[in-house]
Amino acid sequence: MTLELFFQLLLNGLIVGMLYVLIVLGLDIIIRVCNIYNFAHGYIYALGAYLFWFSYVSLGLHPLFALLLSLSLMALFGIITYLGVFNALQSRFTPDVPFSHRLLLSAMLSVGLMMVVGRGILVTFGTEDRGAHSIFPQMINILNVRLPVEKLIIVMASFVSMAGLFFFISKTKIGRALRAISSDREMSSLLGVNTTWISLVGYTLAVVLAGFAGALVVPVYAVSAEMGKTMFFISMVVMMIGGIGSYKGTILGGIIVGQMMSFGFQFIGGLSYLAIWILFMIVIIFKPGGLLGEVRD
Amino acid sequence: MQVTAILEVRKVSKFFGGLAAINNLNLDIFDSEILGLIGPNGAGKTTLFNIISGFYPLMSGNIIFKKEDITGLRADQIAKKGISRTFQISTLFMRATVFENVFIGFHLHYKEPGWKAFFHTPAVKREEWVIKQKVEELLDEMGLTPLKDELAINLPHGHQRILGVCIALACNPKLLLLDEPLTGMNPTEKFAMIALIRKIRDRGITIVVVEHDVKAVMRACGRIVVLNHGEKIAEGSPGEIMNNKKVIEAYIGREEEG
Amino acid sequence: MKFVTNWRASRTAIIIVVLVITVLLPLIVRNSYWHHLFIMGFINSLLGMTFSVIFCCAGMVNLGTGAFFGIGAYASTMLVMIGGWPFWFALPTSIGITGIIATAFGLISIRNPGVPFVLLTMIFAEIISQIAGQIQFFGGWGGFIMVPRPNPIGGIEFNTKVPYYYLILCLFLLVVVVFKALYASRIGRVWKAVSLSPRLAETLGINVYRYRVLAFVIASSAAGLAGSFYAHYTQTIAPQTFGGFFSILVQLYPILGGIDFYVFGPILGAAIMTFIPEYLRITKEIEPIITGLLLLTIVIFFPRGIIGSLSNFPHVRLARISDRVKEITNWLSGMGPR
Repeated sequence: MTLELFFQLLLNGLIVGMLYVLIVLGLDIIIRVCNIYNFAHGYIYALGAYLFWFSYVSLGLHPLFALLLSLSLMALFGIITYLGVFNALQSRFTPDVPFSHRLLLSAMLSVGLMMVVGRGILVTFGTEDRGAHSIFPQMINILNVRLPVEKLIIVMASFVSMAGLFFFISKTKIGRALRAISSDREMSSLLGVNTTWISLVGYTLAVVLAGFAGALVVPVYAVSAEMGKTMFFISMVVMMIGGIGSYKGTILGGIIVGQMMSFGFQFIGGLSYLAIWILFMIVIIFKPGGLLGEVRD
Repeated sequence: MQVTAILEVRKVSKFFGGLAAINNLNLDIFDSEILGLIGPNGAGKTTLFNIISGFYPLMSGNIIFKKEDITGLRADQIAKKGISRTFQISTLFMRATVFENVFIGFHLHYKEPGWKAFFHTPAVKREEWVIKQKVEELLDEMGLTPLKDELAINLPHGHQRILGVCIALACNPKLLLLDEPLTGMNPTEKFAMIALIRKIRDRGITIVVVEHDVKAVMRACGRIVVLNHGEKIAEGSPGEIMNNKKVIEAYIGREEEG
Repeated sequence: MKFVTNWRASRTAIIIVVLVITVLLPLIVRNSYWHHLFIMGFINSLLGMTFSVIFCCAGMVNLGTGAFFGIGAYASTMLVMIGGWPFWFALPTSIGITGIIATAFGLISIRNPGVPFVLLTMIFAEIISQIAGQIQFFGGWGGFIMVPRPNPIGGIEFNTKVPYYYLILCLFLLVVVVFKALYASRIGRVWKAVSLSPRLAETLGINVYRYRVLAFVIASSAAGLAGSFYAHYTQTIAPQTFGGFFSILVQLYPILGGIDFYVFGPILGAAIMTFIPEYLRITKEIEPIITGLLLLTIVIFFPRGIIGSLSNFPHVRLARISDRVKEITNWLSGMGPR
């Protein structure tokens, strides 16, 4: 393996890893704030990609407008699904309901949503791969590797989003409310936090983040029918490897899986997924809270 | 008369993240006593219960029960050894009847192996009949017989607490840990519960009570241990504790409950 | 409908009537297509029971039923086609193989019975599907075709659907009887305790992990049994059949029927989902969307499923037969959770 190839794989792995982190950070929020393991999140990412593709290619809008449109639609989608689907559960979980029932009901909602969104995308947009032309035709040279500018944009946009997210969570009032709810929902509601509204904000934020990640990949990678399912598995794996509730863990997990996908595909192709799943099983068995996270009840 | 220590807590520490919930604690519990465990919120009382009953993997130290080291055993193994507990929040089989709740409590009484149970052999049937009698006896003793076909979730709070103690007793424990048994009870119910605790002790069962109602603890317990920040700050009879400066200090500025 | 005041007697009478009808069904309804639906109904009920037993007895959510269904199917197929075994030996053996794999998987994954378990089952189903597809020895993506029918037994040959019907009926009843015997015993009581409050169960000396593994292995073996039958009934198997969507579809049956009723819930749900789509002619394409919407509707509006919600239906209240209905549901739950 030449040095050049190594750097190419490394950088590509980093880029993809950043995407995973962006998506899983949102997933993490949904889990901790809304108490929902959102299996549909990978498909929501795919939805974001398709919506952006639709706005940019089908409607021919300027990329920034296309982004605005698709993100607005994603936000709308988030609001509607949260209020219509997940909110129904929150009031139903009285203390006598055993954990297994809660898990079942929320898992079923996630799964139901996953199927509707996943197949809905296919039915609406068809099964062929979609792609878009590069927005910026130039290439950039980093460490002797030629990269399209879009890939660099992915990394920068991810960084900016993450920074923005961290700022939002730690400094703003809503961010503090999010944190309050994720550590103790009942207490927060007693203290006057409107849990429904804040959960809605958290959920929509995560959906928009995933949609944003989806939009970022359209000019660079193919938008395929499989992407939702693939991202579902990957996001679940990254989340559990990194551990719920640990930002550092999520970043670490995203980077690891990103590199595994990058190097893996180069050398063992489709079996990379198998490798990731095996890693997942190993981590779950020996460190169920993830590499850096907490064990959540 | 030599009083034996039935449970010994030796140099036990438990950390959560960087915080020590229990710090190098040493404690003896003596046979057939009623020991009160008090202290401000977050002092580590429930944590200690969780460690003893096997719900937390122990970080460091030893727990010795009846001269046997039970450190690190699982919760169900510790139950087999003869330690039973109740929970701060009513932990019952909510969607089962009172009778069924107590019936499960007798799980450890079965001698016939499980596979025989599958074939419903006569020996198994006989055993179940015996246990059924024991359940009815226990329900009668605790005054729960009229409620035996009610779903646990439909019981008033005070009765739920009693049911919790009843289930714990079904295991035939030698040591019973009661986690805030008086919470949410009115004075009459508290009186009844304390009488119940005394009755249980008279059967030869050692009892440790964690409570916030300090007055009730003074009345019910022969000996009291006070925890604060995961450490033992005082130990002695109710009279000694009431006048202990460190204890009073620990409680100043806290909301007094009960 | 008037019920005899002696509830026990009428109960036994109902069971007998139902059994007789079920046994005579292929003779009453001669249409071969209907026979197919009945058979699929039994298979789906079995799979639904796999899910509901794991949920009701172990308190876990298993989204990988397809994996063990597939293992049973493949084991049986390969024993017969490659090993030359007669079907009647392959059937129990493939149940055993499924059980062994289920034990191994269960011992590892039930250490974390919550969400990690759900994900592990899903991924396991994918892994099995991938293994079957990528490795030629297991048939590759094309799978196996022309899987032989079961060998003739007692002079009966399997060239119409009717012998298959009776075979699956026997297997189905066997599984139900085994489950019920287990649930009625002390093991069943422990299972109920574990599903209601694992923490309290542990305090009472119950090794929750062991009982969960037991439930998982038994339920998964039932799925393997269904798989073995399925392979020799449809005579083709391919990795795609046992994939992710299938496992999800399977859990719809018990949830639709009523998740608290571990035998009748899946039966009702499977019956509905087997017969109704035939009338509606739902295309394969939008099937996941309909399933997803159905799932969402049930969870949001009827979380206790059809049987569970029976006493809440307004017209039932109005007709003042709600007491009778409550009795019936209690009886059904007597065959369900105890």
